[in-house]
Amino acid sequence: MAPKIFLVDKRTLETRELHRESLSKGRTDTIHHFRSEIALGWVFTPTSAAIFVAAGVGLFFYFRYEKERLLEEREKERMNKQYGRPQIGGPFSLTTDTGKPFTDENLLGKWSLVYFGFTNCPDICPAELDKVTSVLDSVGTCLFASVRVHVALTSETEKEHGKIFQPLFITVDPVRDSQSRVSRYLQDFHPSFTGLFGSYDATKAVCKAYRVYFSTPPNADPNGDYLVDHSIFVYLMDPHGKFVEAFGQSVGDEEVKTKINEEISQWQQETGKKA
Amino acid sequence: MGWFSSSSKTEEPGAPSREDRKKCWETRDAYFTCLNSVGVVKAGGEGNACGKEKKRYEDSCAKSWIDYFNQRRVIADAQRERLAQGGSQAGNTRR
Repeated sequence: MAPKIFLVDKRTLETRELHRESLSKGRTDTIHHFRSEIALGWVFTPTSAAIFVAAGVGLFFYFRYEKERLLEEREKERMNKQYGRPQIGGPFSLTTDTGKPFTDENLLGKWSLVYFGFTNCPDICPAELDKVTSVLDSVGTCLFASVRVHVALTSETEKEHGKIFQPLFITVDPVRDSQSRVSRYLQDFHPSFTGLFGSYDATKAVCKAYRVYFSTPPNADPNGDYLVDHSIFVYLMDPHGKFVEAFGQSVGDEEVKTKINEEISQWQQETGKKA
Repeated sequence: MGWFSSSSKTEEPGAPSREDRKKCWETRDAYFTCLNSVGVVKAGGEGNACGKEKKRYEDSCAKSWIDYFNQRRVIADAQRERLAQGGSQAGNTRR
């Protein structure tokens, strides 16, 4: 009996030795240690079980904490984005070049590209309107192509998709730019353009909301030959009618397209819709 | 004669079309090329040198546009000069 007890004791001692060694040395030792324990049938000691459970519980809470922190950060970022937006846009009431009323509510449900100009503009306005036309042509077809891929999944029709953009031309020359003049002028640009005009006060109000400067005097001669000095920006408004971006003259159409595509894919991620 | 001559006086003047703009820009470029050839920056300072080009320019563009383009030509020239000066100054300091 005595030698047997001695044997057990010796084994315990050996294991303790190994354990101490593995603590002081590196990983290879630990592996050796485990091997020897497996060999000895000592893997599930109460201590190792306790450590395992403790580590598991610890990791669980740690991951939960990290996840919460990430969500919080993302939320903060989103809030910042919304608070960081310039206050551009707001209520306005104008008339389209086909004679229908048009207000800020008509911006809802579509991505609008808004440009302020006048029909007697020598070179900058037509260049900017050409830019918007080119952007619409390619963003339209580009998204068109991507929709075709998704057709089976989303059952979105190409027709529906084509209607997510709304280019607007708002005249800052209310005295001369009548409905027919604006309508005629826009024939040279993208067919989806809607021209908007209003009284001097209505024009002034929409320009104020969009922070657009214009120099037409209220008493200008309707038959006069004059130019209007005005701010040159193409505004991108989202389907909630909120301001997204203002593109200056120096921003090329490729850059505008990239930005629009980015915004739409983000919008789609957040809302599940393109507009 | 003018640029809005196509619309009669009873009608309101029509908006310039893409064609109108193109014609105006072309005659402007021709006139400015002529001014360059005689070394004149400010329109009107060429005497009788570019009479033909000037006539076409004035027939194809509204007066407000002509004023605007002429003014911009002077501004652009001054800007170029300033840039050139800045460039040579930068070159001098590097030496």
